[in-house]
Amino acid sequence: MHPAPSIILFTVLSGFGFGLISIVGLLQFLSQISAGDIVIFSVIGLFFSIIGLISSFFHLANKKNAIKSMSQWQTSWLSREAISSIFCLSIVVGNIGWVFVQNRYINEVGIILFLLSLFTIFTTSMIYVQLKTVPSWNNMFTPALFIFTALAGGSILLLDYASLVLLLIFGVLQVLFWYIADQSFIHKETSVGTALGFSKNEDIRAFDVAHTNRNYLLNEMVYKVARKHAIKIRYISFFAAFVLPMSLILMFPGNFSISVLVIGIHFVGIYFSRWLFFAEAKHSVSFYYN
Amino acid sequence: MTKLPKCEDKKLGLLIDLDTCVGCHGCVVSCKEWNSSGDEKQLSDINSHQKDPVGTFLNRVHSYERENSSTNEAETFYFPRSCLHCEDAPCVTVCPTGASYKREEDGIVLVNEDDCMGCGLCAWACPYGARELDLVSGVMKKCTLCVDRIYSEELPPEDRVPVCVKSCPTGARAFGDFNDPNSDVSKKVRERGGVDLMPEMQTKPVNKYLLPRIKSKDAVSSVGSVVEEETDATGLLGWVDRALSKF
Repeated sequence: MHPAPSIILFTVLSGFGFGLISIVGLLQFLSQISAGDIVIFSVIGLFFSIIGLISSFFHLANKKNAIKSMSQWQTSWLSREAISSIFCLSIVVGNIGWVFVQNRYINEVGIILFLLSLFTIFTTSMIYVQLKTVPSWNNMFTPALFIFTALAGGSILLLDYASLVLLLIFGVLQVLFWYIADQSFIHKETSVGTALGFSKNEDIRAFDVAHTNRNYLLNEMVYKVARKHAIKIRYISFFAAFVLPMSLILMFPGNFSISVLVIGIHFVGIYFSRWLFFAEAKHSVSFYYN
Repeated sequence: MTKLPKCEDKKLGLLIDLDTCVGCHGCVVSCKEWNSSGDEKQLSDINSHQKDPVGTFLNRVHSYERENSSTNEAETFYFPRSCLHCEDAPCVTVCPTGASYKREEDGIVLVNEDDCMGCGLCAWACPYGARELDLVSGVMKKCTLCVDRIYSEELPPEDRVPVCVKSCPTGARAFGDFNDPNSDVSKKVRERGGVDLMPEMQTKPVNKYLLPRIKSKDAVSSVGSVVEEETDATGLLGWVDRALSKF
């Protein structure tokens, strides 16, 4: 699949934003955070979520109809995501206002924000999970990875040792995701044979393409990434998203300026991880171009 | 609405005979023409009269060769690819704006361009590459089964079929109701064994394909005999063969 920068930035930035909001919400519920910190970190979470959503807006080819994306919640995960993110961010804004004015907070609002922001990240991941056409996404490791990526990123600024646990879960899930993705690259049931109505092992080869130039289908869904580069990018991604953040937090626990540096490095790693998420994914339409 | 209807009355679709298709791209050209002409219709091209033109098509014809396992010879065939108007159309349910829908009365899958925001998710959801985003208008395009022809009251009755069917010079494409067991398409599917594309995707396509029949072994061996077997020829040919072999 084509790794569109607007979509990658959207999943990275809004994932971090909603991750931060969920951690703030959890700490608010457990009374482990000051009113001032709720305001500051909610604003940061809000900022990244909104930047992400704006980035996804630029992916649309017909932006004037974007508002209609809230209408099909009964069947569409993208619609559910649009509604859930707007609903969640509205509560965040309300919570910031209330805490700022009253200088105290309601614990129950925290748990609502925690669950709603996690649900929003889940709906984002389900946009990809639902696609039978892309087997490397079509499994439950995808939402697990999206949720723990967001929680790990969101916890770096606010938690010390607990963020190490979340980072560790993220690291394990990331490796598992790549392992699973490698397995389903084989498209267990689909081949050029089934694409044309024959049996899976029918010996068929394309000898001429259907058009004289590239087209939307090839640009969007038949993206090929060199295998050897993909493996190198996995190492870079894992090092930046997991190894360096773990090491720096262990070396400088509770150091806020180091945490900010760690966030920056972590972002680079997650960006590469999401780039691979798209670039390595093989869509079934590519079998027509075998 | 992006909820899928039952479609208990009619299931309109195409039956495509790969044994008959000669890969002339006539259906592609006529489809492009019909769907680009008129006041409001648009199926755009970019750089259309320059270097590297790219364009939106609702129908494309691929070419393949297949190994005949009994003769080890390659056999070529052509494969027109377009929307299959699936009963469980994943392109419809993923649509966030309600632009994608399946008609209850005849099962045709359409896009309401006034609602489409051009996110492209339906094209990702389709296993068959049947949807292309029009890069000029920014909305998704797909086969309409020529809904503006088949129900037209202006066109003469014999023209009320999809334009790809009308224009096919070899009669490789048939249009009909797959829900009616007595329709011509249903009969042909039964007689010749019509198949689904990628049945493992569980989309339940309405369109069916008739696969190319394998050539018999004799068809291939008679070609080979001209070279191989006449070394043992007798009579006049044998004398010629022996005479020529001396040099």
